[in-house]
Amino acid sequence: MNKSIPIFITLFAILSGIAWIDFSNTPHPVSFKVPKGWPAPVYDFKSNPLTKEGIALGKELFYDGQLSKDGKFSCGSCHQQFGAFATYDHALSHGYNNQQTTRNAPALQNLAWQKTFMADGGINHLDLQPLAPITASNEMAETIENVIRKLKADAHYASLFKAAFGDPLINTQRLGKALSQFMLTLVSANSKYDQVMRGEANFILPEQLGYDIFQKKCVSCHPPPFFTDFNFRNTGLTIDDVLNDFGRMSITNNPKDSLLFKVPSLRNIAITAPYGHDGRFNSLLNVLEHYRKNMVLGPTTDSLIKNRLPLSNFEIGQIRAFLNTLTDSSFLKEPNFAAPGMENTRKAPIHEH
Amino acid sequence: MKIVPYFKQIIGLFIVAVLFGSFRTDNKNLTIKFHHVLGSQLLILNDSLTNTFNEKIVVTKFKYYISNMVLINEKKESMAISNSYFLIDAFDSASKNITIPFNFKKITGIEFLLGVDSIKNCSGIQTGVLDPMLGMFWTWNSGYIFAKLEGTSTASRVAGHYFTYHIGGYKTGENAARKIKLSVISNSEKNILDIQVDLNKWFASSNDIRISQTPICHSPGVLAIQFADNYANLFSIQQ
Repeated sequence: MNKSIPIFITLFAILSGIAWIDFSNTPHPVSFKVPKGWPAPVYDFKSNPLTKEGIALGKELFYDGQLSKDGKFSCGSCHQQFGAFATYDHALSHGYNNQQTTRNAPALQNLAWQKTFMADGGINHLDLQPLAPITASNEMAETIENVIRKLKADAHYASLFKAAFGDPLINTQRLGKALSQFMLTLVSANSKYDQVMRGEANFILPEQLGYDIFQKKCVSCHPPPFFTDFNFRNTGLTIDDVLNDFGRMSITNNPKDSLLFKVPSLRNIAITAPYGHDGRFNSLLNVLEHYRKNMVLGPTTDSLIKNRLPLSNFEIGQIRAFLNTLTDSSFLKEPNFAAPGMENTRKAPIHEH
Repeated sequence: MKIVPYFKQIIGLFIVAVLFGSFRTDNKNLTIKFHHVLGSQLLILNDSLTNTFNEKIVVTKFKYYISNMVLINEKKESMAISNSYFLIDAFDSASKNITIPFNFKKITGIEFLLGVDSIKNCSGIQTGVLDPMLGMFWTWNSGYIFAKLEGTSTASRVAGHYFTYHIGGYKTGENAARKIKLSVISNSEKNILDIQVDLNKWFASSNDIRISQTPICHSPGVLAIQFADNYANLFSIQQ
């Protein structure tokens, strides 16, 4: 019996040593919190489990200009936190060499629930999404090969990749997974609307009236909790003769999909102007005016609005009051989403639209 | 003295090791060599060649994915080679010889997919030869380019007289992956398979596709399907 005591002590020392080594080298798991009442996420977290280090690496990459050809365009330069990760006050965004994008940058929020990406749904996985803007000649204009080469040459990424994935290997898959980890954390679920639904706040009268009108006239295509059904619909927008963007049809080759675009989420809508897939509407008033008067009806116009959307001036006013309750200022100011070093400078812009 | 009680275990381990070793001797490596031609002409980078429609062509790029390989033996047993993805580049000799382990005495047939199965098209970013970095992936309309043929031809009526064919598509109705089934007639138990790839079939087999009329294909759809039906006929075994 006397002999067994030192053995136990030694064993304990070895085991705790192993535990310590393991602990320091393994990324720390982060659980993804699904807001109460929301459906299960679409994203396969098993293939890319969230970790503290993975999210940190993703954020570093998201705000790193090295992902673009001239170093000037990070993901975050067009997806600005104070604009709900859309480009604030821009119809189209700026890209490499004084060029413009061809579509309005969408807000990045609640991406874990999205099956397809882009206004035409051409991209089928969140991990793949960043490769499109990185390689587009009018956006970040870089090759994947060069991005990987630059990251490998940058010593601080070796330790960040090692912390996130266990070894310092840098490849396209890990780039995509890390960016996804950060983007998946961009959950907006704390607007006044959410607080009212949770019983923590009350609508004022115009908001309540607007909510009731919304339930009758808007909710079929913009259902909560995402305020989009993620479908593709033609809302009577005429073709822009420069962009020649036929939307979903360019992906499916199906004429029935001509001029169909993904229904955008209305969360944080008050600060994501301009609106429309090409940002042609300056304000919510323009959008609502379009629905009641200016829609151009065609063979692929969505059946739910084939007679346009009758709205009185009164209704438009109340709907706008309701839509303002979808602004989530905690999302816009969340320090964890801010560029490294900018965590305490977040200010939500004033509602103007 | 304590060694003695372990003697049996050691002998047991030794027997197991010998058994495993004897199994392993059955495992061989099959080398598949791809030989690229255009009719009777060898496919050589930047060489001036003539296709079956008498169109003068210079090929600058020819790459394609081979996947989901299955070997068949004389008893009609099949052996799927798991996770087998290869990117063959006609102008990179290292990529043209692929080696796969097998334990059949004799191979009587081989099956593979020209293309990449839909699962790999839908599950995010892959690594190795499937890394999107290699340029065989559409980033704006997710999916692999299964085969890429590029070059110039005096017959082409687009700027620079280029022809560029990027063929792919995994969705229902647009699936451009083609299953290739080849029989090996030879009686010998050889470990090398020579496969001839005749680019004339790319232009003329199931469909006639002239560079003069169709110099470009860059997306999944009807035209890509026509090319796919043609490239299904590219391969034959040199018996």
